[in-house]
Amino acid sequence: MKPTTTTALKRPPEMTRSTDVSGLVDAEGGLLDRAVFTDLELYRQELRRVFAPSWLFLAHTDQFRKPGDFFTTYMGEDPVIVTLDKDRRIRAYLNSCRHRGARVCRADYGSTRNFTCTYHGWSYDLAGSLVSVPNRAGYPESFDTADWGLAEVPHVETYHGLIFGTWNPEPVALRESLGDMAWYMDAMLDHDDAGTVVVGGVHKWVLEGNWKLAAEQFATDWYHVNMSHASALMLLAPPGKGPKDEIVHRTGRQYAGPNGHGAGFPVHPRNRFDAETVHKWTDYDALRARLGDARVEGPLTNGHATVFPNFSYLPVNGSIRVWHPKGPDRMEVWAWTIVDAAMPPEVREAQRLYNLRTFGPSGIFEQDDGENWSEVQAVAHGVITNSIPLNYQMGLGSEREDGRYPGTTSELYSDAAGRSFYAHWRTLMNTPAWHEEVGR
Amino acid sequence: MSEGIRVARLEEIPEGEGIAIDKAVTGTADNVALLRDTDGSVWALDDTCTHEDASLADGFVEDGYVECPLHASRFCLKNGEVQGLPATRGTCAHRVEVRDGEVYLYPNTSGGGA
Repeated sequence: MKPTTTTALKRPPEMTRSTDVSGLVDAEGGLLDRAVFTDLELYRQELRRVFAPSWLFLAHTDQFRKPGDFFTTYMGEDPVIVTLDKDRRIRAYLNSCRHRGARVCRADYGSTRNFTCTYHGWSYDLAGSLVSVPNRAGYPESFDTADWGLAEVPHVETYHGLIFGTWNPEPVALRESLGDMAWYMDAMLDHDDAGTVVVGGVHKWVLEGNWKLAAEQFATDWYHVNMSHASALMLLAPPGKGPKDEIVHRTGRQYAGPNGHGAGFPVHPRNRFDAETVHKWTDYDALRARLGDARVEGPLTNGHATVFPNFSYLPVNGSIRVWHPKGPDRMEVWAWTIVDAAMPPEVREAQRLYNLRTFGPSGIFEQDDGENWSEVQAVAHGVITNSIPLNYQMGLGSEREDGRYPGTTSELYSDAAGRSFYAHWRTLMNTPAWHEEVGR
Repeated sequence: MSEGIRVARLEEIPEGEGIAIDKAVTGTADNVALLRDTDGSVWALDDTCTHEDASLADGFVEDGYVECPLHASRFCLKNGEVQGLPATRGTCAHRVEVRDGEVYLYPNTSGGGA
């Protein structure tokens, strides 16, 4: 028999157990069972059915300037290499040798000619092809290196400098999958034709807490701001005074997308929440002409957002981040700072410091958020605790087309985008992915 | 041959990198890798790694050595000596000279950079 590729194997279907999660998510009534944060089998199902078929954020195009530049990251728990091939095309590969499975790239980022496994030395070129096998003569004649290239992420697309990939062999195109969310993203990414660039490296830190706690908050939760971030808001207020009442009680809108994306923002003609240096440099008239008043008075000058499932951003801070799942109880936060390419050095530096101080790993706001997520997770495994559902009913019934902001929107203080986030999560969890055989 | 063979302009070889010169040009058994060290000096070695089929001209050049891009064997730029596994044999070094920004190769002579 010819020894050949992985097709000779067949994993027994009973190894893959899937649960109908309809009884865990009541998106219409605003109730959520805490098992979605704690159950290991649900977590594995989530990797198979939520992460594997979805568009996942990989990197920013500015990280790749010449062929061989690479960045290593994760899609769910799958390690991937993102690189620029010799034709300057952005490609992504599973970072696992086809021989014994070790990673073929152990660096966080850099520039290379090949990806060589440090275990036995199988070596792959920038196109993912296996180009060198030490002691090749020891393999049978049927061994063909063409069969053993790196597994490639089949679809990689970009949106205004953000690179997304999906393992789904037949995905809805990225732009279509974003839907109305793209309009909100443009408020951060499309200030001018030059777009955005990355400053500094990628901050990475570990938090105890399920990844969805962070993703849903960035989609839907302005509610926590005045309570959780009270000390930070006091610190940012003028010396000797508290935050202005009109800021604390500002109203706004929240976008709740059908694909689980969400964004919330206060709305005010003189809305702003940025660093003074950045504010003075910003040409608001040009932005109003390009993006319209609704965006400048809303998602361009304040707010939060999540692109389902695990990419989030803060438009004014220049923070973009991924919540990498690391088991049901833990996440890794990977955070970039992006700025307008048009910004002169002193403005970039002001933006960098502003983001670092507010939403860097030790930022005065970021610290509050991490504490909340870890707090929720720390008690969620109690038998009684875990059996008592959580409330996502704020703004129930308030969802509508408001005529100013695209798609379905709700109030600033609302759980609407949280409900749509979990509704989409439920749909994916109950839908066998392409890699699961029919009838399994 | 006292003039050597003009094989490249120095500016064609970025510091820390190399270019391969075809054996049809050099008349050597193997292609020749012109390797430019991080101090700007240029050296020549047989291009094919003595371990597996890899081009040293695609390798990483730094501090007097070239590292093979596939399995990280290192060779001395001056004399082609191998520095460690997985390669076990050294490679052939050729003398080069730079005159007026042009690189001249003296094939099959003992090594020496410029």
